[in-house]
Amino acid sequence: MSTPAAAPALEFGPILRAMKRNKVRFGLIVVEIALTLAIVANCVSMILDARREMARRSGFDDANLLSVRSTPFDPAFREDGYLDNSLRQDLEALRSVPGVRAATNTFFLPWQGGGSSTELRAAGTRGEWLRTQIYAVDEHGFDALGVPITAGRNFTAEDVETSAALFRELRRGPRPRGPDGLPARKVTQDVVITEAYGRLAFGGNGPFVGRMLEDNDGDFYRIIGTIDAFYNFYGWPIHEYAVFYASRSRSYESGAAFLVRVEPGQGEAAAKAVEQKLLAVNGGRDLRIRTITEIKGQFFGRKRLVASMMSGLVVLLVFVTSLGIVGLTSFSVAERTRQIGTRRALGARRIDILRHFLLENWMVTSLGLVMGVLLAYGLNVGLVSTVAGARMGWPLIAGGVTLLWLAGLAATFVPALRAARISPAVATRNV
Amino acid sequence: MFLYNLRIALLSLRRNSVLSSVIVGGIALGIAVATLFSTMRHVLAKDPLPGQSRALHYVRVDSWDPLKPYPGDDPTRPPTQITYQDMVSLMRSDIPARQSGMFKANLYVFPDPKIGRPTKQLTRLCFADFFPMFQVPFRYGGPWDRKADAGPEPVVVLSEELNDTAFGGVNSVGRTLRIEDRDFKVVGVLDRWRPPVKFYDVTQFAAQAPEAMYLPFNFLRPMRVQSVGNRDGWKSAPAPGLEGLLASESCWIQMWVELPTREKVEAYRSFVDAYVIEQKKTGRFPRPLNNRVTPMMAWLKEQKVVPNEINALTVVSLLFLAVCSLNLMGLLLGKFLARAPEIGVRRALGARRRDVFVQHVVECEVVGVIGGALGILLSLAGLAWMNSWVKTLLTRDDFFQLDLTMAVFAIFLSLLAGLVAGLYPAWRVCRVPPAVHLKLQ
Repeated sequence: MSTPAAAPALEFGPILRAMKRNKVRFGLIVVEIALTLAIVANCVSMILDARREMARRSGFDDANLLSVRSTPFDPAFREDGYLDNSLRQDLEALRSVPGVRAATNTFFLPWQGGGSSTELRAAGTRGEWLRTQIYAVDEHGFDALGVPITAGRNFTAEDVETSAALFRELRRGPRPRGPDGLPARKVTQDVVITEAYGRLAFGGNGPFVGRMLEDNDGDFYRIIGTIDAFYNFYGWPIHEYAVFYASRSRSYESGAAFLVRVEPGQGEAAAKAVEQKLLAVNGGRDLRIRTITEIKGQFFGRKRLVASMMSGLVVLLVFVTSLGIVGLTSFSVAERTRQIGTRRALGARRIDILRHFLLENWMVTSLGLVMGVLLAYGLNVGLVSTVAGARMGWPLIAGGVTLLWLAGLAATFVPALRAARISPAVATRNV
Repeated sequence: MFLYNLRIALLSLRRNSVLSSVIVGGIALGIAVATLFSTMRHVLAKDPLPGQSRALHYVRVDSWDPLKPYPGDDPTRPPTQITYQDMVSLMRSDIPARQSGMFKANLYVFPDPKIGRPTKQLTRLCFADFFPMFQVPFRYGGPWDRKADAGPEPVVVLSEELNDTAFGGVNSVGRTLRIEDRDFKVVGVLDRWRPPVKFYDVTQFAAQAPEAMYLPFNFLRPMRVQSVGNRDGWKSAPAPGLEGLLASESCWIQMWVELPTREKVEAYRSFVDAYVIEQKKTGRFPRPLNNRVTPMMAWLKEQKVVPNEINALTVVSLLFLAVCSLNLMGLLLGKFLARAPEIGVRRALGARRRDVFVQHVVECEVVGVIGGALGILLSLAGLAWMNSWVKTLLTRDDFFQLDLTMAVFAIFLSLLAGLVAGLYPAWRVCRVPPAVHLKLQ
């Protein structure tokens, strides 16, 4: 004990021997800490997972988008000409609302957890069919979403007109089929695709403009432009793949849908004005107006709830474990009052007593943490294979270990201080 | 003797109130968390129709693309729904005791103009068997009969809520309700029916409330009803419009059959296979034979009605209780051993080891019971909070309920936690040698 620095090292022996005499009590703490680390690390891993997913950006101006769904009951809407007319009036009415930057007629609705999809492939190849989301938009579609065209061009009003006329014709009756069972006359539509789908279909980074896709009827899709920012969660793993074609989306049965992009902060006011204006065009319909923020909130509702409940559990767990450490150290101090008094009487300083308990606890905690790291990985493998979640990385474990080390030290501190204050006179007193 | 032990236990708890509240509070927290999350899981996972669910089977046939399997996690699974033409053919079987194809739509209801504007209502189109099959409770009237299916006769069954808004909650059986372009006669009004899981249709969000009204399936054609459920396709329709859809390979109908015996299940499976093999001759069903007649509970599990996150939370909450229990064990050990001198005296005065042991186990169980009771109260508060949250998503506030099973489970958990935590400390303390402590007195 010549140098103070060597002193802690020398205390290891007596502490270890003392612990051996109290195997169960210290064993309990070890197991508790190990379990705590395993649970905390896995919960935090799942929380981070959920947060990563919730932080996914769609690429659209989500915060300033309104979804407007109009479903008519007025029989006037059953007539095709009336539908087109009222659609035009609706769009004019929407654009005349103060604070509205753009309005488009489309059934595409971000963050609803799905949409529509089809299978295409690069034209003329015998390649695999590649599933993609597919939506109709008009010439204001990308403007309303707030998504820039990265190459090529957007649809024009004429594109929408021509395309809508083509679909009207196709709707009239069954298409005559050739000997191969496919429609005899092929159609070609202009489309704007996401770059991610371009890379999937053609390989490489483009350019994709001017290239052709085909579907399993033999119809063609000519790429006139691409967008980059696109993420819309789908039940199948095609979140980043999308193909847009020009058309009008309205019918008596499904009504019409619009996406409206407003100036920042104008959502509430615009929503009210939109309802009035549209009902003024024709009141014979039901209107449902929601912000995309609200729809996104619902989409992530369960995830957010689970994440916050897990966070609560982690806090409670660390608290309970710390409480356990406080309790056990207190008993340990109470039990050894006489020994501590004797040590103090024999010349041990207060700091030595404090250090003794802190060191003892640190050894127990560390042993628990070593076991905990193994348990944490075990639980993680179990959860990943049976439940869900991602494999957890070592920084997370390191964080958990540090947290519990600190919690353990903090929890020991109060009872250890009490031990340090025990007067040497206690040793000489008979109980 | 038990009452004496009980009194000793309560006295001992009162002696050190800080320590006692830490001990009881810790176990209460563990029980609350474990009960809360197990209940959430149980609400979603429990059998919605005990007794009946074993007979109910969900039917799928693999009519998908020859080139690739139906998309999803598991490539061996056939599409989750079936085509219209397959439903019509399968419904011709007389093997099932009851059967119904079905889908959901969103239809306009025109109430008396004095009452309000027309509103869109979620509607299920199904066959008469739907109601007895799923034991749907009626307040007024009852289901339509099979004759009305064939007509189809313009009859409708309303939910309690829609009957409230459209008819002010009175017995509306026999009254007329205008739906879209025609008049329907009300034949039945449902009693309050709020299963937490929409077990008869889990192809979409499983926690949705049941539909507002029910119409005979065969109004599909005359009313040109569009499904608002999932519609999966791989091949373009042979014609545009509704007729094209009905003749297409689009999968959008759910099909249930009631097969009360094992023999019927086997017979029905063979019937479905035979049908598909027959259809293969016409060039349909290009994929290998892969038909499923799945019992209800297996189908709900396959569709992950209990979300993975909830399973994870349940596992974590039970581990949390384990930590609380370990904690309790440590605290009790310390507490009991601090009492060693007292025990020494009692032992010296003739108390047997068993007496000391039983006395301490009783004390642990008292802690378990008090902690458990507090924990159950806490978990009820937690469930109420959860329900208020669910309300913002589902417009219903009675989603999570603590039922008898879970209450018993919670009591069992608290007794178990008390016992697990108490056995070792009680054993340790009863082995205290009397002499050592007497000497120190």
